[in-house]
Amino acid sequence: MAGIYVHIPFCKQKCRYCDFTSFPDKTGFAESYMTCVYHEMAMRGEELKNYVFDTLYIGGGTPSVVDESYIAMLVAAAKKYFNMAENAEITIEMNPGTVSASKIALYKKCGINRFSVGLQTAVDSQLEDLGRCHNLSQFISCAKLLRGENFSVDVMIGLKNQSLEDIGKSIDVAAAYGASHVSMYALTPEDGTPVYTDYLNGELPDGDEVAEMYAYGVNKLKKLGFVRYEVSNFCKRGRESRHNLNYWRRGEYIGIGVSASSHIKNVRFTNTFDLDEYFKCIMTNRFPVIDSTEIDAEGRREEAAMLALRTAYGLNLAEFNAVHGCDFEKIYAEALKKNSRYLEISNGVLKIKDEFLYVQNTIICDFLK
Amino acid sequence: MKKPNQFIRNFCIIAHIDHGKSTLADRLMEHTGQVSKRDMEEQLLDSMDIERERGITIKLTPVRMFYDADDGNEYVFNLIDTPGHVDFTYEVSRSLAACEGAILIVDASQGIEAQTLANVYLALENNLEILPVINKIDLPSARPDEAKKEIEDVIGLDASYAPLVSAKDGTNIKEVLESAVKYFPPPEGDVDAPLKALIFDSYYDNYKGVILFVRLKDGKVDVGDKITTFRADKIYEVTEVGVFAPSMLPKNGLCAGEVGYIAASIKSIQDVAVGDTVINAENRAAEPLPGYKKVQSVVFCGIYPLDGSKFGDLKDALLKLQLNDASLVFEPDTSQALGFGFRCGFLGLLHMEIMQERLEREFNLDIITTAPSVSYKVIKTDSETVFVDNPSHLPPVSEIESMEEPIVHADIYSPPDYLGQIMDLCRDKRGIFEQMTYLDANRVKLEYRLPLNEIIFDFFDKIKSRTRGYASFDYEITGYEKSKLVKLDILLNGDVCDALSIIVHESSAYSRGRTLCENLKEAIPRQLFEIPVQAAVGGKIIARETVKAMRKDVLAKCYGGDITRKKKLLEKQKEGKKRMRTIGSVEVPSEVFMQILKTNDE
Repeated sequence: MAGIYVHIPFCKQKCRYCDFTSFPDKTGFAESYMTCVYHEMAMRGEELKNYVFDTLYIGGGTPSVVDESYIAMLVAAAKKYFNMAENAEITIEMNPGTVSASKIALYKKCGINRFSVGLQTAVDSQLEDLGRCHNLSQFISCAKLLRGENFSVDVMIGLKNQSLEDIGKSIDVAAAYGASHVSMYALTPEDGTPVYTDYLNGELPDGDEVAEMYAYGVNKLKKLGFVRYEVSNFCKRGRESRHNLNYWRRGEYIGIGVSASSHIKNVRFTNTFDLDEYFKCIMTNRFPVIDSTEIDAEGRREEAAMLALRTAYGLNLAEFNAVHGCDFEKIYAEALKKNSRYLEISNGVLKIKDEFLYVQNTIICDFLK
Repeated sequence: MKKPNQFIRNFCIIAHIDHGKSTLADRLMEHTGQVSKRDMEEQLLDSMDIERERGITIKLTPVRMFYDADDGNEYVFNLIDTPGHVDFTYEVSRSLAACEGAILIVDASQGIEAQTLANVYLALENNLEILPVINKIDLPSARPDEAKKEIEDVIGLDASYAPLVSAKDGTNIKEVLESAVKYFPPPEGDVDAPLKALIFDSYYDNYKGVILFVRLKDGKVDVGDKITTFRADKIYEVTEVGVFAPSMLPKNGLCAGEVGYIAASIKSIQDVAVGDTVINAENRAAEPLPGYKKVQSVVFCGIYPLDGSKFGDLKDALLKLQLNDASLVFEPDTSQALGFGFRCGFLGLLHMEIMQERLEREFNLDIITTAPSVSYKVIKTDSETVFVDNPSHLPPVSEIESMEEPIVHADIYSPPDYLGQIMDLCRDKRGIFEQMTYLDANRVKLEYRLPLNEIIFDFFDKIKSRTRGYASFDYEITGYEKSKLVKLDILLNGDVCDALSIIVHESSAYSRGRTLCENLKEAIPRQLFEIPVQAAVGGKIIARETVKAMRKDVLAKCYGGDITRKKKLLEKQKEGKKRMRTIGSVEVPSEVFMQILKTNDE
């Protein structure tokens, strides 16, 4: 099974923490861009004839900012150029400030069956601080339109002036309006973003406080019936994001659009981040790839361990040994011994103990060369 | 008997740091046409990066110049540039032995400084003719007459004929050259006598082997000659001789009186020592030249390769450094925390710092250094006396009858405004006031007895910061004195870390222990478990801090194409971990071992 990721690099405005590829002032290019995306899909489809894709993820940027007809055509193009599985999971990311009843109706009609809504926080002043272009009431309207659908809500922790109650409120709102999935992330102050200035000025909670918030959120979600299946992802039974699970299982996927990344036949490659360059490549029938790395056997093992240990499912040793043709416990004997206090192996599955999931980097590092 | 060429002048320059030594040397070279102004890189002789960055001279560098004097003769000048800092007195004594004269540069606005004086006395001891030169007369604050008076008062030299120059803008440089002709004596010796050449420096060239920097006192040497030294038993055939112009220029033979270099395919660094005398193997001179005063290391520290497998590289590097700095001593040592390394001895703190920097830069080695220590005299209960410069080698308390530490006599020169601060500092450092002398209205000399172990810690930095850099300071070791010394241990997660142990005076153990714990708490990264950091004296805990357990260390949004980038982030984190040492179960970055040098105030 494999996934398709399509990147829509347009936004109404740039969030203050965003370091993704997005162009808030270039929505006028949407039509040209979408045309190129369809064309790139056609090129890739030809190349990946033998693949069956069971997820399509339309991310950004803000995919919901472009006209819904482009999205409908995108889904149609995916089905036309790729072998999409019958029950494929098709997700779109949405900003609650950019949706309408007719938009969502068309999304559903064209086959989108999963929605990811960027709430971030239920406190309007904090939304404003983040530079989000929506408020709580817009989220509620949006969630009402999604009633009965399979939808996920993004919630952020580690915000300026954020209290534990604020986090509780965000989660409560998401649960109350029927979210089946919650992604809970800590704000990462990336260098070069406006939020980084807040960080430098000491206005953001420190690591200990964020850990506190995380623990609080995990507990809250648990009480509401959400199961943690990855360090930042929680869902109601059976509502895992299949698309993301594929990433963490080192599955294959093809990325379409500017800055999108792919993993096909043990080669990881990335498209250009430059919009003009992207147009130029597609219009001359060239793949806009700027970076391509073949992952060797050791790299594959390391990736598999690093990704699997993020998840609550852990790493299935027998499966790992079969895929990589080696003995995990032998190769990583030293790392296993050193971290025995933080790891558990039961029924042939290696996991980071729950209480150490949030300090996993240190542990995972020991599984890298 | 044949006298050497009487038109040679061999001299060096003595000056305080920053009084313009290298600039004057450059100017002399420019004036004698050695280098054109256009080709001149700033400060030609300070060729090491560290020298240029710090604006100081560490290594001596010889250069040959030709000068057409007013008397109608062409003279050969051999100038040997010398370091100015007190730690490098040894280097200075080496160059002095190769010269007949010394130019003493005195800053027209600052007068004579303590370190300069020490070198002047050294030059006088070596029977060198001294030519005072007043520099920086272009400065508005220049007081050349006062500077001259000071030379006469303090050193007792006649300064009436001292040229007044500005090395910066080139004023009166010719007068310096003429004075050198007039006041410096020509070399003595006998060209017909058997070869005697003093090795005053050396370095290793990958193609030519060891290059000897020599001053010929007697005889001649040429390509094809069989040479040896007094101390070595091997015989070498000379492959090249030459002079410094200022880069090495091959020449047909060197004669008594000349300064130059000899290459003889000498492969082993240990075979030739600076200070030894080169002789002709087939026509041996009977007596060696007087060597150099053997210097005693006063500051010691452990040097370990960051990567344990680089032990051999570190050893090679130390050997190569020792080749042209015989004052560096080292012997293999091991530490539970740091593995295999060397215990090294230095002439002072700056010397230590420079050596550490050279190891890192010139040899590309990542090293860990332990806290500097002095050599303590330990009288054991069985009345045996041992010297200990490594705290972890200190015998158990039960076997120690008493301990003695080296004491110095320190001269501190300062404008009177800072007396209070200096006296406070000396008191903090267990100093005993001895004398105060007003040299003039603006300069006071303070004399103190101080324990050396207080000076090597942070005394120099503090005195500079408390006097805004105005004070200068010089010291000499006067002997050992009984003292209440204790070993301060640091425990990480309950385990003693030998590389962090220090020997301190009983009275400062508590405050040092507390400061150290506080600094270590900041320097040790948080780990998955709580780490107690304790200071202990004789098994008794005197201070404690805790490094809290880490609570958040996770990559955000590990999605899609991000994976390659995220993995790189983890690999970077892993690289950081690789640079750490594991002590017990605690991972410690190498910087931690330098925390011991930090204090909380200032």
